[in-house]
Amino acid sequence: MTHSPAAEQRVEKTVRKPAILLAVTAYFGVLLLALAALGISWYRAGLAPDQPIAFPHTIHVSKLNLPCNFCHIFVDRSRHAGAPPLEKCMSCHTAIATEREEIRKLARHYEEKRPVEWNRVYSLPEHVYFSHKRHVKAQVDCSECHGKVGAMKKVRKVGSLKMGWCVSCHRVRGASLDCATCHK
Amino acid sequence: MMRRLKRRDFLRIMGGVSGSTLLSSCGSPKGSKTFISYVLPPEEGVIPGEATYSPSTCAECPAGCGVSVTLRYGWPVKLEGSPGHPVSDGGLCIRGQSSITRLYHPKRIASPMLRNGGGKFQGISWEKALALVSESLAASRREGRTNLFLSGRTSGSLSRLIDSFCRTREVERLPEFEVYSHSAVKEANGLLFGQREVPRYRIENADFLLTVGADILETHVSPVSYARQVSRARGEGGFLWVHAEPHLSLTGANADRRIVVSPGRETIFLLYVLRQLLEKRAGKKGLPAEVAGSLPRMSAGRASEATGIPADTLKEVCDRIAHARRPLVIAGGVSTAHPGGLGVAAAAGMIQWVTGAIPGLVDFAGRENDERVGTFRDMEDLSARLERGKVGVLFLSRTNPVFSLPGRYAFRENLGKAMLSVAIGDLFDETMREAGLILPLSHALESWGDVEPRRGVLSLVKPALEPLHDTLSEGDMLLRIMGEGSGKGTAAGYRDYLFGEWTRRFGEQGRDALLKTGFVEESLPGKRVSLDGRKAASLFKGQNATGREMAGPVLVLAPSLRTFDGRSRGLPLLSEIPDPLTTISYGSWLSVSPGTAKASGLKDREEVTVSSGDWSQRFPVKIQPGLAEGVVVACRDFVDSPPLRREERTGGAVEYIEAVGIAKSGKTAAIPILSGSPSQRGRGLVPDPSHKDEKHHHGRESLYPEHSHEKYRWAMVIDLALCNGCSACVAACYIENNVPVVGKKDHLKGREMSWLRIEPFYGETGDVEFLPMLCQQCHAAPCETVCPVYAAYHNPEGLNVQVYNRCVGTRYCSNNCPYKVRRFNWFWHRWEKPLNRMLNPELEARGPGVMEKCTFCIQRIRAAKDKAKDGSRKVRDGEVTTACAQSCPTGAITFGNLLDPESGVYRLSHSGRVYRVFEGLGTDPSVYYLSGGKGGPGRKSHG
Repeated sequence: MTHSPAAEQRVEKTVRKPAILLAVTAYFGVLLLALAALGISWYRAGLAPDQPIAFPHTIHVSKLNLPCNFCHIFVDRSRHAGAPPLEKCMSCHTAIATEREEIRKLARHYEEKRPVEWNRVYSLPEHVYFSHKRHVKAQVDCSECHGKVGAMKKVRKVGSLKMGWCVSCHRVRGASLDCATCHK
Repeated sequence: MMRRLKRRDFLRIMGGVSGSTLLSSCGSPKGSKTFISYVLPPEEGVIPGEATYSPSTCAECPAGCGVSVTLRYGWPVKLEGSPGHPVSDGGLCIRGQSSITRLYHPKRIASPMLRNGGGKFQGISWEKALALVSESLAASRREGRTNLFLSGRTSGSLSRLIDSFCRTREVERLPEFEVYSHSAVKEANGLLFGQREVPRYRIENADFLLTVGADILETHVSPVSYARQVSRARGEGGFLWVHAEPHLSLTGANADRRIVVSPGRETIFLLYVLRQLLEKRAGKKGLPAEVAGSLPRMSAGRASEATGIPADTLKEVCDRIAHARRPLVIAGGVSTAHPGGLGVAAAAGMIQWVTGAIPGLVDFAGRENDERVGTFRDMEDLSARLERGKVGVLFLSRTNPVFSLPGRYAFRENLGKAMLSVAIGDLFDETMREAGLILPLSHALESWGDVEPRRGVLSLVKPALEPLHDTLSEGDMLLRIMGEGSGKGTAAGYRDYLFGEWTRRFGEQGRDALLKTGFVEESLPGKRVSLDGRKAASLFKGQNATGREMAGPVLVLAPSLRTFDGRSRGLPLLSEIPDPLTTISYGSWLSVSPGTAKASGLKDREEVTVSSGDWSQRFPVKIQPGLAEGVVVACRDFVDSPPLRREERTGGAVEYIEAVGIAKSGKTAAIPILSGSPSQRGRGLVPDPSHKDEKHHHGRESLYPEHSHEKYRWAMVIDLALCNGCSACVAACYIENNVPVVGKKDHLKGREMSWLRIEPFYGETGDVEFLPMLCQQCHAAPCETVCPVYAAYHNPEGLNVQVYNRCVGTRYCSNNCPYKVRRFNWFWHRWEKPLNRMLNPELEARGPGVMEKCTFCIQRIRAAKDKAKDGSRKVRDGEVTTACAQSCPTGAITFGNLLDPESGVYRLSHSGRVYRVFEGLGTDPSVYYLSGGKGGPGRKSHG
C-alpha cells in the first residue's frame, strides 16, 4: 500500500492537532500549578512571618504560664492589644538568658532606645473597626481567634479574619450584627 | 484585511498576561505591615489608639480663641473650641477650624530663603540666615540707617520679647499693622473718655444691642465670643438686636432688625437717637450743656431723609433704646471706616454714656490688648521712610502690607529700597515675595507661646508636635539673633524664656495650672470713666444735620467671613466652603442689588469692570437680595491694592470707594454659585406664617415594617433662631470626616463633597434665613429602599448607614434623596503630603465610585458607646456630640438620644417651635429644626 501525499498530510494533521492541544494544556497547567504552589507558599509564609526577634510564646506562655495580658497590657483597655514596651522585657532579661543571641538583640534595641518593629500576623483592612477591649470584656478567650499561641514557637495566623468568620461568631454569641458596628 | 492572530502570538500574549497578573497580585495588603514595641511604656493615661487632647490657642486671627487639639497616634487631626475658655468658651469659627490645614499645608515654607542675584529664592541654613540678619543690623547702623520692626497685632510674652529685642539690637519697633485697626473707635474713646482703647463689650449683660456697621459675627474683634454672647442674651429672652449698615453682612442678616442706612450717614442716625434720648430724658446721665449744645438739631423727617431710614423705624429704635434697661451700642466695621467714622464712633460712645451702662456693658478694664496697633497713616510714613533710603533692616512679621495697602502708597516698590527686608511667615504672600530674606515661621501647633487678647486673659500656645519643617517660632528666632549679638544666649530657647515669665507672674503652681488648663483669667475691677465735655463738644462742631452725601455708586469693601482681611486666603478649605450669603465658593464677586442689576441689565456671573481713577478690577456679578440701591460690595480680600483714601483725623483707612465706574466687559465668568435658588419658592424649608405643610402623605400605611429602636435613637435639633450661618460647622465636618477638597472645576460641575451645607433663603424684603442641611437620617428613608446592594441601610440606632465597601456606585440613593445631601466620589481625592497626616483614622477615606454622606459622626458615637459599655451603662446625654455641634459658636445644634426623656434633644424636639423639612413626604427625619424669629416678631429688613 502506498500513501498518497494527500493522505499523508491528513495523517499528519490528525496527529498534529491533539499535540498542539496537549502542549497548550500542559503550558497552562504547569503555569497554574506553579502559580498555586507559589501562592500557597506565600500564603503560608504570610500566616507566620519571621520576626525581628524570634520570640518564643512556647516558653513564656506554656512553660512560665504568663497570662496574655502580662505583656499585652492594653488588651482589655484599648482596641489594640499592644506589644510590651521593651522595658518590660528587660525587667526579667537583664538577669535571665542574657547570653542568648535573641536576648542580646533585644538588649541592643533597649540600649540604643530603638523600638522593635514586629511583623503583623493579623491585620485588618482600613474600613474595619475592631476593638480587643470589647472582645476581652465580653469574655471571648484569646485562643478563640488566636489559637493555642502557647504551642506556637512562631506565631501563626489562625482565624481567617474574613467577614463571614466574624459574623458567624457574632451570631452564635448574640453580638451586634449591625454593619456599622464594624464597618467604618 | 484584518490580520489573523497567530498561535504563537496568542501564547506570547497569554504568557505575558498570566505573568503580569502574578506580579500584580504580589502587592501587600493595605494598612501597615508592622507594629512596634515602645522602648518605654507610654505615659499614664495614654492608651494606644485613643485620642489625646492638648490645650492651645488659635492663631488664625488676633481674637485668641482657646482650642483643644485632638491628637491621634501623635498627630494633630482636629481643633475644637476649648470649653470654659474666657474668649471662645468651646466655640471655634470657620477660620479656626481650617487653621489645621495651615499646619499641614503642602506649600509651607520649609527652610530660610534668601533672594539670590537672579531675584529667585534659594534655601539657606538658619545659621547663615541669622548671621546675615545680625551682620545687616550692624552694617546698617554703621551706614547711619535705622532698623525697623513691623508686625501684625502681637500680645503677651512675644510682644515683650520683641520690645527687648528692639532695645538690645537698636531696632525701632513700628506701630503694628492691622487692616482692621479700629482706629476710629479708639480715637473716639480717647477723646470722650480719655481711654484710647477698644473696650470689652459685654453683650450677654445687655437687653438691647445696637450695632452700627460692626460685623460682630465675621471679623469684629472677637467674633466667636460675640456670637456666643448674643446667643446667651437671646436665650434669656427680652433681648433685641438692631443692626444698621449700608450694605448686607452676615451680622446684619442675623440681627432681629436690620436697618439700611445711606453710606456715610450713620452719624446722623446716631445723633438723632442721642438727641431723642436727651429730649425724652430717658438716659441715666445727661450731657454737659456745651456738648448737648454742639449737637445738630434735626427733625425726624430730615433725619429720615438724610439717612434713608423710614421715620417710624427711627422712632421705634429711639423708643426701644429709651425703654431698655441695659442698652449697648457697638460701632465699628465699615461704618467707622469712612470720613465720618470718628463721628459715628463718638456718637455711639455718647449714647453709651447717656444710657449709663459703662462699665457694666462697655468694660474699659478688660479692654483689647491692641494699643500698639497703628493706622494707615503710620504705614504711609513707613513707605515714605523707605523711599528716602534711610531704612536698614526691615522686619515684616505676620503682616502683608503689599497686599493690603493702597497702590499709591507704593509699598511694593519702596520695599526694595531697604537694605534688607526680612519677612517672617509660613505661606508665601505678596509681601514675602518682595522680601529679601524669608524666615519660615512654625505653626502655633508647633511652638510655645502665649496670647493675651484682652486684659485679664492669658491663653497658652503649646506645641502638639515637633516642627514638620526646618522652621522656628518667632520667639526662638529673636532669641537666637539676640544671643548672637551679645555673644551669649539670653535664654536657652523661647520655651525657657516663657516658663521663666509664667513662673515670675503666676508662681510655679500657677504656671502648672496654665499648662494644664490652657488659660489664666484674672478678674479685673470695673473701670469708671468720665466724659471729657470740652473734647466731646469739639467733636461735633461744624456737624450739620445732613452730613455729606457720598457720590454713588459706592463700592463698599467688606470684611470677609472666610479670610478675615485676606490673611487666610492661602487655605484651600476656606475657598471650598461657600460664602453663606451668596453660596459662592471659589473666586471673587461683586454683590449688586436686584434693582441695580435690573436697571443695568446685569445677570449673575456676568463680568463687569469696576474702576476708580487709574485703578480697575474685573468682577463677576452676583445679585444680592437685601442690598440697597447705589451700593455695590466686594470682599476686602478680593481686592488687590485698592485705591483707598485715609481718614484724616483717625489715620484709618476709608473702606469706601465713591463714584466707581461699572462697565460690562461682555464676558461671563465661571464662578460656582452652589445654591440653586435664593428663594425657597414656598416649599416650607424654613416655614413662614404663610406656609402650611400639606402633610398629604400622613395617615398612609407604609409598605415597610416600622423600625424598632431599643437603646438609642440618635437625633439632632437645630435651632434656626440661633444659627447665624457662620459655617464653622461646615469646616468642622470637613476636617472630622475626611471630606475632600475638590476644587473649583468640580464645583462648577456640581460635584462638591460637603456633607453639611448652609442654605440661605431670602424673603421678599431681603431678610435671610440660614438652613443647615445635612443627611436627615430619615426613618422612612427613600435612599435605603432603592439601593440594590444593601449599602444604604437603617441601623438599630436610627441611623442611615452607608457601607462604603459595599457601595457599587449606582447613585440611585442620591437621585431618590429629597434633601440632596448624598455625595458621590467621582475620583480618588488625594490629600497632598503632608495633608494626609490630618486624616482622621477613625473613618475610611472613601475611594472612587462610592457614595458618601453625613453619618452623625458615627465614629464619635462608637467611641462614646465604648466608654459607656466599660461602665456597663448607656451613653449619657452630653457625652457624645457631633463635630458640627461641638464647633457651633452659638450652640444652635443639639445632638443626643431621642429615647432618653431626660436628653436635650428630647426636650427640644417636643417644643412648640419644632418642625422637620419636607415632613409631608413622610420621610420621618431624625433632624428637627426649631423655627421662629430671631428674638421678637417683625424680623424684617427696613430701609
